[in-house]
Amino acid sequence: MKIAVVGKGGSGKTTTSAVLARTFARRGHDTLALDCDSNPNLGISLGLGEEATEHLVSVRDAVDTGDEEHASDADDLVQRFGVEAPDGVRLAVVTAIQNPQPGCP
Amino acid sequence: MRVAFVGKGGAGKSSLAGTFARVLASTGERVLALDSDPMPGMAFSLGLDRTDAGLPDDAVEAYDDEDGRCRYALRAGLTGTETVERYARRSPDGVRFLQLGKARGPRWDNTRQHFAFQRVLDDLPGDGWSVVGDLPGGTRQPFLTWGRYAETFLVVVEPAPASLLTARRLARLAATERAPRVLAVANKTRHPHDAQWVSERTGLDVVGTIPYDPALVDADRKGRALLDADPHGVAAAAVRLLVQSLQEQKEPT
Repeated sequence: MKIAVVGKGGSGKTTTSAVLARTFARRGHDTLALDCDSNPNLGISLGLGEEATEHLVSVRDAVDTGDEEHASDADDLVQRFGVEAPDGVRLAVVTAIQNPQPGCP
Repeated sequence: MRVAFVGKGGAGKSSLAGTFARVLASTGERVLALDSDPMPGMAFSLGLDRTDAGLPDDAVEAYDDEDGRCRYALRAGLTGTETVERYARRSPDGVRFLQLGKARGPRWDNTRQHFAFQRVLDDLPGDGWSVVGDLPGGTRQPFLTWGRYAETFLVVVEPAPASLLTARRLARLAATERAPRVLAVANKTRHPHDAQWVSERTGLDVVGTIPYDPALVDADRKGRALLDADPHGVAAAAVRLLVQSLQEQKEPT
């Protein structure tokens, strides 16, 4: 099952995603939570804590600065950049923009 | 003054920005309100009965650049200031309102208006005008693109971890760019220490504190402006104080 949660800002996307992910994991499903928000906060709602959630983003910074190799495929991304969240949910952040350039909307 | 509201989605940017713009106008300033959030929240908080305030098709024309790529600009002879004069809608308290990057009327493709509006931002009305902007939620490029006219960014922060984290990210992004003034507005506060918490956890000065106000929630639910639904309530009073605080501070040069 693959679910994407969308909606207006502040309507509860992140909270809903986190509860869904942990519920599936508790029921025994291997669960991957992907934070595709350019302002990724899913770690907080999953119960990972603020510090760990901020650290996830700094992993992306490392890629941007060339300290880390880009992921070669999806599995590599989840393995190297994902972290273990409560109930065994695997969390990966895929779209944080830390160093925006002018021009793109 | 030229301010832009930023912050996490749902933090209350649109509700505060529209209210702020009207309060500012009621003090006698000429105010242009710019909504660059894809959601039409600011029109509601301004009290407009129509949310459609984008650029009409005939204000925009396409041209090919040197490399043959299609670009969009305001039609020949049309300046940004004239665009505001001709196409901005007028809200209660005399605020002029324009939605950035949107087309007038229902459609999917806003590409023309989206890029042409960059020219409006490059040529906003100058002396004698205040600008109040409502930017999209999150951390996506608020300082470089849609908010580049702002001298002061107001980060709307709820006293909650995700909102605080977003504010810290915004503060970092601001520091790496042209270093505009960035201040926090603590919103939906319920505890006397919330503003201090916001300040400590974001590293930003808190210039205003808006207590949680059921009247604001109720106005949002009805799609009404706070200043029309509950003009003398707690949240409205707090926005007046915010406007006053900023008017008393000297703008950075």
